[in-house]
Amino acid sequence: MITIDALRYWHLVIDTLTLPPGITSVIGPNGSGKSTFLKLCSGIAEPESGTVFVDDQTPRLTGIGYVNEFPDRNILFSTVKDELASPLRFRFTPCRETDCTVHECAETLGIGHLLDRRMQDLSGGEKVIVAFAAACISRPRVLVLDECDSHLDADRCAWLEGALRASGAVYVIRCTQQMETAATGNFLLYLEKGRLLHAGTPAEVFSRLSDTSFYPLSWRCRA
Amino acid sequence: MRVLLDHVTASRQSWSLEADGIFTPGIHLVSGDVGSGKSTLALMIAGLRSPESGTVRREEIHSTMLSFQFPEFHVTGLSVSEECTSWGLEPVTAIRQAGIDVVPETPALSLSRGELKRLHLACVFSQDYDLLVLDEPFSSLDCPGKEQVCRQISGRSGGITVIFTHEQCIFPAIDHIWEIVGGSLVECGTVPDALLQWQHAPPLVRRLVGAGTIPESITPEGLREAACRTRG
Repeated sequence: MITIDALRYWHLVIDTLTLPPGITSVIGPNGSGKSTFLKLCSGIAEPESGTVFVDDQTPRLTGIGYVNEFPDRNILFSTVKDELASPLRFRFTPCRETDCTVHECAETLGIGHLLDRRMQDLSGGEKVIVAFAAACISRPRVLVLDECDSHLDADRCAWLEGALRASGAVYVIRCTQQMETAATGNFLLYLEKGRLLHAGTPAEVFSRLSDTSFYPLSWRCRA
Repeated sequence: MRVLLDHVTASRQSWSLEADGIFTPGIHLVSGDVGSGKSTLALMIAGLRSPESGTVRREEIHSTMLSFQFPEFHVTGLSVSEECTSWGLEPVTAIRQAGIDVVPETPALSLSRGELKRLHLACVFSQDYDLLVLDEPFSSLDCPGKEQVCRQISGRSGGITVIFTHEQCIFPAIDHIWEIVGGSLVECGTVPDALLQWQHAPPLVRRLVGAGTIPESITPEGLREAACRTRG
């Protein structure tokens, strides 16, 4: 379990929260603290007070893959191949093993044709897919995705769902503005103005948002 | 007033794009797979990139605006206040119109991506353009923000609006649908007939069309109305 207690960070306040294994989606208005929450779960930021634990360890002692909401802020290297290899090289993985893993990961995720491309020449969606691949390549225990789907078409979004489930990550925490996507996760959080207003299964949380535009359109159309 | 694409091409290594077509006044939606060339086409339509061959003619168009898919690419001011001023806007008014809760002195690049997108679009919609090209205008916006953009697009006094997007649910009243298929720009036609041809239709539209119910429009209201018809 991921457990959060008495968390305070800037304007984000969460008294207590437990996230089960599986896919947790985070939704809420712009500026509600979703990205801040993801940064705290991934160890990029540390709480001003309170705690975040991933199975009794702090996020910084846990294997975590993270995709930034700004696609260009994920980029460290000039080519896709080097970008994918970077998490392995930072861990001093032997060169031959790194090369094999990069090619294997690229083929598995269907981006083998991008390996020799320059990162700056990629489309927005391609940048996000490469960032996702780099986040997955060292098979982290936790995957944190900040609006990974905002530049993907419907087929790629469906592909991403499959890739998430095949990633081997015990916990996936993702922020999304696609309510149809949020509806497919195991657990759902709704933040507003730095406060956690609702937490539960998608059915439980969306039932409390039924009179808002956050309620999935496909659910309205089946009602 | 119209934008005419005449045998326009662009290419890079194994990727290529061909485009022919005429964009007339109204709201046009262009869809396509990741990496199919939507942003490249947006740049060419707006005149910020020359085609490799062919011509893009903008006839009787006196003002053009391209909104990039990455709002951070537009930022020229250090603070929100400077950014608004660079668009000729009074900061407090622009912040209110964007619907974000920040003070003018806030560093522009410290905003969340959704807040930055809201601010950028408020600046864009503060002025009128004959040709408005919007590359992924809905990305990073929350649902109320997407609805607000739809209202702003629908509220334009005229001109040509071309929207490039992967959005799946919340659309303004689209007049014409285009898509990039197999490296070529294909005109699906005018809504609602275009929905029958639209290969990149969102799942909900596909479901409704598959059930034999053609929505009159792809606005949330249009889709809900069609769903009600499906249920009888």
